[in-house]
Amino acid sequence: MSPDISSNTITDATARETAPRRVTVIRAPSLSLSGLTGGLVKLAQYSDLLYTLSVHRIKVRYKQSLLGVSWAILQPLSLMLIYTVIFSFIERVQTEGMPYAVFSYVALLPWTYFSTSLSNATNGLVSHQELVTKVYFPREILPLSYVIAALFDFAIASTVLAGLMIYYRIGLTLNALYAVPIILILTLLVTAVALFLSATQVRFRDIGVAMPLLLQLWMFASPVVYPLSAVPPGLRDFYLLNPMVGVIENFRRAILQGAPPDFRSLGVSALIAVVLLPAAYIYFKRVEATVADII
Amino acid sequence: MIDLKLDHVSKRYRIRREAEAGAARNPLVRKLQSLRQRSEQFWAVRDVSFEVARGEALGIIGHNGAGKSTILKLLSSITAPTSGEITINGRLSALIEVGSGFHPELTGRENIYLNGSILGMRRRRITEKLDSIVEFAGVRQFLDTPVKRFSSGMYVRLGFSIAAHLDPDILLLDEVLAVGDAAFQAKCLQRIGDLKRAGTTIVFISHDLSAVERLCDRVVLLRQGEVIACGAPHDVITQYQNTAVAFQSSQPPREEMANQQKLVEIGRLAFRDAEGRETSVLRAGEPFTVSLGFTAHERIADAVFEVFFYSADRELQCQCTTEVIGGRVALEPGAGTIEFSGQGLGLLTGVYYTDVVIKERGATEFFDWSQWDSAALRVDPGKLVRGKFYMPCEWRLTQESEADTAAAETTWT
Repeated sequence: MSPDISSNTITDATARETAPRRVTVIRAPSLSLSGLTGGLVKLAQYSDLLYTLSVHRIKVRYKQSLLGVSWAILQPLSLMLIYTVIFSFIERVQTEGMPYAVFSYVALLPWTYFSTSLSNATNGLVSHQELVTKVYFPREILPLSYVIAALFDFAIASTVLAGLMIYYRIGLTLNALYAVPIILILTLLVTAVALFLSATQVRFRDIGVAMPLLLQLWMFASPVVYPLSAVPPGLRDFYLLNPMVGVIENFRRAILQGAPPDFRSLGVSALIAVVLLPAAYIYFKRVEATVADII
Repeated sequence: MIDLKLDHVSKRYRIRREAEAGAARNPLVRKLQSLRQRSEQFWAVRDVSFEVARGEALGIIGHNGAGKSTILKLLSSITAPTSGEITINGRLSALIEVGSGFHPELTGRENIYLNGSILGMRRRRITEKLDSIVEFAGVRQFLDTPVKRFSSGMYVRLGFSIAAHLDPDILLLDEVLAVGDAAFQAKCLQRIGDLKRAGTTIVFISHDLSAVERLCDRVVLLRQGEVIACGAPHDVITQYQNTAVAFQSSQPPREEMANQQKLVEIGRLAFRDAEGRETSVLRAGEPFTVSLGFTAHERIADAVFEVFFYSADRELQCQCTTEVIGGRVALEPGAGTIEFSGQGLGLLTGVYYTDVVIKERGATEFFDWSQWDSAALRVDPGKLVRGKFYMPCEWRLTQESEADTAAAETTWT
């Protein structure tokens, strides 16, 4: 039927002896910092899987769909058009002198990245039951691959922003480079929330059901369709506790206004992201240890 | 050099009970109660310790629910132990239910990369082995076809082929050999043999006792999550078979056949080898005797004795019966024995369960039926042939001799 597979595809014993072997010790799960470093080492070993799976997410989404990659653009674009109709024709929103279309689109970019990541990643573990109960790999790769795929969509959708800015003759300044650290902070934040939600979803499926509502509320609690200046000054300190406020407002500032970010609000977001991520990762690893039993 | 070490490993599962009928009426209150409710505990694996040396092949056997699969899940990190410690020295890969990582929309090639990475292979390594993987699975011309267009056979072959190319230091094998056609299974076994010769440490979990005996250097027997024996394959497998019979008869009896009238009662079933010694182990292709004791309570004009042989998966393999050979069997009241014997046992290596029926010729009612409760028989390699059974035959050679005008003739039975 097929030729004999030669044993040259198998590393022989002598070659094995020379290579140092990694010793793994498996114990009962516990919440610990050493689990954090151990988890990161394992994750690095499986970095190829993270890459393959993220590419796979992107490919599968656009294979056999007529519009292909343009779906990445269509989603924020259609939202932008709806909000533009509502908030600049029906109910005029103060936009600090910007055309409403570009004002809302620039905020919808990071917001869509955030919401797409979360709505997909929350189901990341649950929708791969057959894998999770049969093969071991660092489980965080599942939610992370959705975050990376959404980041890819973000990059595609950004091209439309460039088009809008040329149309409205809005120039970029060097301050636009601040977009890079802002997106980095956003990515840390998305990752933290994605890890937390996907692990919790395994035990409480309510999370997945509540996600659309939660994301809707979260968006209106962030300066996407209105500017930060529209929030009453007395409430502003409280409002800033939403980490998406610092991200979205400063992204808009850096790109559209060409101004350096407000380091106070961005600092709050960064601090929340940096504290949340390790905590979420440790929690995720604790759930991971027995996820195959309860999924 | 110890590659794998389990040190007092235990795994507890919690089984949550359904809320009782008299619980609160409000669904929310009931839900909260059920969350607080104490769940039942179940130890799938209890205080298990064993070691596997480098290059050794260890078999793990036991009944369903004895903890075999749980041990496999613990070793492959799918789930964590409740207590105890597992030390793994080297790269470990598990070959469990292959093909579960396939995505139907992606092509064969894309799936090889995806599945390979899920199993822990580096992309570069997959590229190196791509040809060999495709060749082994025999799917070259479908490499760029979405796997949803694959036949189920191609699916399974590709899945196994990827896993077989993992080249780990320690290989875990579940019942993977139960896939594909006979030719592919033979190829898989050959591949596993190659890995073993190359010095791979193997842990093999299977119901196929003859495969375990062929492949393994040592066998661990599990019962209810605990190790009850560990040692040479032949000894441990024999012990398992003895408990297998005990286990079966301890099962609650099935619903009695309504029409069962015990005019003749089944006695003891025994096997004897070529030398006439009583044994529970016979050899393929060698002389055998099956002896069945009975007690008749009435005069029977035309009785039929039947002994059925079932494989471990409860599939009927063959039968000894007085219905089709010899004449009428008339019984007088009293005890007796009926013996079936032959020169070449047709069954090949494996474990067989037996079932006995005594009935009247042409009748649909049985006098007695053992309901799979009779002795288990193990068949060891004797005259081992390829195929599904041993067919007793004679041969005779005829040849024209140049030196002698008379034709030389050899006959052998």
